[in-house]
Amino acid sequence: MMTNPLDLTRRHFFGRTATGVGLAALGSLLGRDAEAAADAALPHHAAKAKRVIYLFQHGAPSQLDLFDYKPALAAQRGKDLPDSIRKGQRLTGMTAFQTTFPTAPSVFKFAQHGKAGTWMSELLPHTAKLADKFCVIKSMHTEAINHDPAVTFFQTGFQLAGRPSMGAWLSYGLGSLNQDLPAFVVMVSQGKGNSQALADRAWGSGFLPTRYQGVKFRAAQDPVLYLSNPAGYEPAARRRFLDDLGKMNTMKHEEMQDPEIATRIAQYEMAYRMQTSVPELTDLTKEPQSVFDLYGPDARTPGTYAANCILARRLAERGVRFIQLFHRGWDQHNNLPRDLPRQTEQTDQPTAALLQDLKNRGMLDDTLVIWGGEFGRTVYSQGELTETNYGRDHHPRCFTMWMAGGGTRGGQTYGETDDFSYNIIENPVDIHDLHATSLHLLGVDHTRLTFKFQGRHYRLTDVHGRVVRGLLS
Amino acid sequence: MTAPLALSLLLAASSVTFNRDVRPILSDKCFACHGPDAKTKNIPLRLDVETEARRVIAPGQPDASELMRRVTAAQPARRMPPAFTGHQLTEKEVATLRQWIAEGAAWQKHWAFLPPERAPIPAVKNPAWPRQDLDRFILARLEAEGLAPTPEAAPETLLRRAAIDLTGLPPTPAELAAFRADRSPRAYENAVDRLLASPRYGERMAVRWLDAARYADSNGYQFDGERVMWRWRDWVIEAFNRNLPHNQFALEQLAGDLLPNPTFDQRLATGFNRNHRGNTEDGIIPEEYAVEYVVDRVETTSTVFLGLTLGCARCHNHKYDPFTQQEFYRMFAYFNNIPENGRAMKYGNSPPLMRAPTRSQQQSLAKLDAQIAVQRTAAAHAPAATEEHWWPQAGLQAWFPFDFAERAEPAGRWGKAARLDGTASVDFAGVAQHDITEHFSWAAWVKLDATTGALLSHMSDSPRGRGIGLYAEDGRLHFHLTSNYDSDALRVDSREAALTPGRWQHVAVTYDGTVSAAGIHLYVDGRELPFKVDQETLYRPLRNAGGKFNEPLRIGGGGGKDNRLRGLVDDVLIYGRVLSGAEVAAIAGHAPASVPRRIDAAWRSLEALEYERDLLVRTFPTSMVMAENAERRPTHLLLRGAYDKPGEKVEPGVPAVLPPLRAGALNNRLGLAQWLIDPKHPLTARVAVNRIWQLHFGTGLVKTVEDFGQQGEWPSHPELLDWLATEFVRTGWDMKAMHRLIVTSAAYRQSSRATPELLQRDPENRLLARGPRYRLAAEMIRDASLQAAGLLHEKLGGPSVKPYQPDGLWNELAMQDMHYSRSQGADLYRRGLYTFWKRTIAPPMMVNFDAANREACVVKENRTNTPLQALNLMNDVTFLEAAKFIAQRMIREGGPDSAARLRHGFELVLSRTPRAAEMGVLRDNLAYHLDYFASPEKAQEFLAQGESKTDTSLAPRELAAYSAVASLLLNLDEAVTKE
Repeated sequence: MMTNPLDLTRRHFFGRTATGVGLAALGSLLGRDAEAAADAALPHHAAKAKRVIYLFQHGAPSQLDLFDYKPALAAQRGKDLPDSIRKGQRLTGMTAFQTTFPTAPSVFKFAQHGKAGTWMSELLPHTAKLADKFCVIKSMHTEAINHDPAVTFFQTGFQLAGRPSMGAWLSYGLGSLNQDLPAFVVMVSQGKGNSQALADRAWGSGFLPTRYQGVKFRAAQDPVLYLSNPAGYEPAARRRFLDDLGKMNTMKHEEMQDPEIATRIAQYEMAYRMQTSVPELTDLTKEPQSVFDLYGPDARTPGTYAANCILARRLAERGVRFIQLFHRGWDQHNNLPRDLPRQTEQTDQPTAALLQDLKNRGMLDDTLVIWGGEFGRTVYSQGELTETNYGRDHHPRCFTMWMAGGGTRGGQTYGETDDFSYNIIENPVDIHDLHATSLHLLGVDHTRLTFKFQGRHYRLTDVHGRVVRGLLS
Repeated sequence: MTAPLALSLLLAASSVTFNRDVRPILSDKCFACHGPDAKTKNIPLRLDVETEARRVIAPGQPDASELMRRVTAAQPARRMPPAFTGHQLTEKEVATLRQWIAEGAAWQKHWAFLPPERAPIPAVKNPAWPRQDLDRFILARLEAEGLAPTPEAAPETLLRRAAIDLTGLPPTPAELAAFRADRSPRAYENAVDRLLASPRYGERMAVRWLDAARYADSNGYQFDGERVMWRWRDWVIEAFNRNLPHNQFALEQLAGDLLPNPTFDQRLATGFNRNHRGNTEDGIIPEEYAVEYVVDRVETTSTVFLGLTLGCARCHNHKYDPFTQQEFYRMFAYFNNIPENGRAMKYGNSPPLMRAPTRSQQQSLAKLDAQIAVQRTAAAHAPAATEEHWWPQAGLQAWFPFDFAERAEPAGRWGKAARLDGTASVDFAGVAQHDITEHFSWAAWVKLDATTGALLSHMSDSPRGRGIGLYAEDGRLHFHLTSNYDSDALRVDSREAALTPGRWQHVAVTYDGTVSAAGIHLYVDGRELPFKVDQETLYRPLRNAGGKFNEPLRIGGGGGKDNRLRGLVDDVLIYGRVLSGAEVAAIAGHAPASVPRRIDAAWRSLEALEYERDLLVRTFPTSMVMAENAERRPTHLLLRGAYDKPGEKVEPGVPAVLPPLRAGALNNRLGLAQWLIDPKHPLTARVAVNRIWQLHFGTGLVKTVEDFGQQGEWPSHPELLDWLATEFVRTGWDMKAMHRLIVTSAAYRQSSRATPELLQRDPENRLLARGPRYRLAAEMIRDASLQAAGLLHEKLGGPSVKPYQPDGLWNELAMQDMHYSRSQGADLYRRGLYTFWKRTIAPPMMVNFDAANREACVVKENRTNTPLQALNLMNDVTFLEAAKFIAQRMIREGGPDSAARLRHGFELVLSRTPRAAEMGVLRDNLAYHLDYFASPEKAQEFLAQGESKTDTSLAPRELAAYSAVASLLLNLDEAVTKE
């Protein structure tokens, strides 16, 4: 793969230093290339955020039951959603055949929190305490109405698979701040509600070289695939193995002069270092009890959202550029009053704990935290509406996300929706805008981070996107 | 440091050529605005059209040219390109434009749209070097650059290189020995012939074609259920092995179904354009995805065969190439006439499809058909035995005669019957538990009180419920299979109101599991009834997502209380197969002449054979294929590419910049395919030979193998590309001949050893002053390790297999009913191309080593070098088990002493003899590991890798130590590299 000038500089670097396995060389391996900054003129401006923690709530949490308080809905309960609101908007194949669209107010209580008086429901008591730390965006909207295209859109800026994910773009553009860890790490946790499928390509590199793809950390014996030596093979033996491998590869390099051989030698050294750095990273036993108390009862169970939140903080501390958590199970088509609290019970405390933890460590200022799903949910009930039960279908026209830290203006609610949380009436923000704004905070001009593929200069925001100034501090 | 990025910098020539030097600048920096789409943006100047561009160019006078004034303007507001585009011209680019204008501003049409011209073979100073004509093109260029070729590679290296390129596998020790023993001057050529004749050749070539054809074993998108396209994959392997000429290869895949009297293989071939993803997500709007599938076909076809990025013109006129949006939709029209549904089947293949028996299944069928023919003759001449009424019993699952029930109605059709009074149905649990992809037939005698009511069902007892049901509706026969009444159902109604109350009538339905109305037959009184299709969008099984569906067989009920039957029912028959019309007629007592009324042993054996045939046919895999609607579906331009924004209507047609269809040619998919393989087509042969070149040298002569348009790269050797393209056509598009030509060339046979000077001068090896050297493709790395271990199971074709992969990968991301159940035995060791490819969770080793993602067409080879690859090779059970078996071979085959054993292992992995220094490292490494594994626990633990058992007589300590050394060998750069 040589279309990218960064590759060539890397090759030349090794070409000049023969079998050198220096620090600068390693810098190019998982992260950015030593000379890339000059080539790409990155960052384009002073960055407010050094890293991103993106808490992806997979399946689409209901804005109506968490953030978007609609007191006027109580009077509309059970009535058909007015045509003046729906305006013939296309519906998913799951409710398009419904003959009635009964309005379903939330069964959950709302209250205002923080100095800014941010509205939040009773399902988020922990997050509510930090209301002044984040900026609620009530006016998010998307074009996709189904999970796969919607997630793909959020992850890559395009509804069809094939383009690089946001993390891959940043890994390509900015690289890692740590030479022992990948620049882009992903973790997935299982919710208790209706789960939809995810795909590895959600953190893929698309047409960028594969080394920019997200590396998935798993709650398994091998946090990274194939990380552990086989049973019976100790680190000392692996060290000896690598020394001898290096000797033979060095002979080969002297014979053939191929810079790829030198790169391979360095990659084996990097692999060896990951064998130490990753287990050290994922080992939470040295975290004090106070941390587990903060993140809640699940925090000691590997693979939970809570444990992943602690890991996210540890990754952030170690300079990983883009950390993305996916928590599954937010697809409440039916039984929402029963199932949604199960999701928030798993996620509310750890999410708040992560913000608090970052703040305590002085890292919130330069860490951009993003929370949200792939679309919103309908105000009308999918299936039967009863006193205590309803479901909500997919709703792309408005939904809520929040951003914290990293140069965002906390303690505000941005954008407004109509009385039915159906249409945006003020300050719409689309996915390209969210991407452009996030990149801006990281010192990247979204129109200038490009990669030429099949004759075209591609970017994360395609030909769209604007930095939303109202979200910036 | 500045790397020589652009090929033009390598050039010794000083004069400027428009196509090579100038067009790329204009295209990349100017065409986005001043290009084919300028009009839409109201921009008055186009720089892609000569007459227009001339308005701002004064030939010979750069300073008098507006073009130069604008690109050099000091004032930012006047300077082109404008800052907002993010583009700017480099000093060198400005100088090139200046020089071009100064030299007269000669204009050329884009080279790739002109037919290839066969240039004379160039003269060279060193006539001893070339082995093929193609070498003269390479050498002439090297000589012009002042470079000399590198001497030929060592014979073993060369054999390994050719074996990898032609079969995807390194040579075995036996092949190596045979090669060494061949003293003839043609030893290498002989080896090449042997490699080309190997069945492994077809497998190797197929892999890259599967990448291009986005082949996978799952549907992609969200649910990503399994599909069955391996019969098409095996067609590809066979096509390469029988050396199907490339033009025929293209024709059959694009339009085999439209050829006159297409053969089985020609229809199977069309699976090429059904390999795109299929969406089954519940909430989708099917029309939206129906458009995506057609777009995918246009993009794939144009990338693979034309080397063009036509997809860019989906939403607007192409920004760089002369393709309008209208032209995109004219191409779209060729692929928009398939009888398909935008919602794919959740599990399995989506129509249109064909039964695609394997060769051995075809043989079994032929054998059975011969037996049936014999038995039929015998039966026809058999004497009468009894006077009993004949009716088929093979495949019968249940029979309800109601003759023994106490409360039954005495006046049945045959004996007693069941009386239904509209309040309750007669239910039988565990009967008729069919699902939507199964074969079944239902039959019954009925005497109705009214024209409407449920007859037989396997469905929930609620209105619009889920399941299968046969009804009388206003005297019509109604049959449905329903997963969701609104969006996921198959419903048909007989046109004729054939059911009349008050008399005994026989009703039957047969269904063949194809999820299409064409698979349904309705009968009343043994007579088949034509029907109209109310809905045909069934895609989810009744037992969806691993769930249960235990509704009983209901006689006279199903679908709620309002639907229950009033009347009599008798002799209900449930079959697990499709009855023929004659059989249904026989049951109904209207036997045609061919079915005897008298039972006879010969007839019973014939029936048994027919049933056996039905069971056999049911095991045949299906394969998705192309088909054509009888009436052409109209195609509209889609505004901004959106499925719900149709614009003007368009007719099928090819882009105007390319040659037109021949006069009198069919203007359909077949005509398009024939146009594509016209020997005079400017692109097809060039694009094909360029990919073959990439396969051998790692980079195409046109590096952008996927883009021959104006944004594509100028060829490194334009005359050679054209010479190869014309040679390809001249030799009848003979693929094996083209491979032979290249691998026997002097250029290919060079050593890949580089020098610092050469690396500096030509880091990408575009001039070919040395041989190719680069990392093996993902599947080759695995295949080579398995072969060295002696584990590789060389079975050609068949269903995809599931080798080792870390536990839990599917469960973490997929839906609840998707589990990776690892294959057993030999299927753990098949070649990588047979590994089950789940699109959303691809095999991790393949992903680590840059395999194409199979989401969409990929023709460019991609190689990175990462620590995850190192971890994969060191710690994946696949490679650890292979190392263990290499160790076993070292000990058992290598001889008594350790040096010989190490040499043997080295040769197994690297196909050459180790040097002394290399042996030194290996000896030390072995000694270290013998020492390390002195602990029996460590050795035992280390050896517990993989399913296959090693020879128990080998000492664990020794086996473990040699395994560690073998693992080291597998991790060598050279082991994963074509050198």
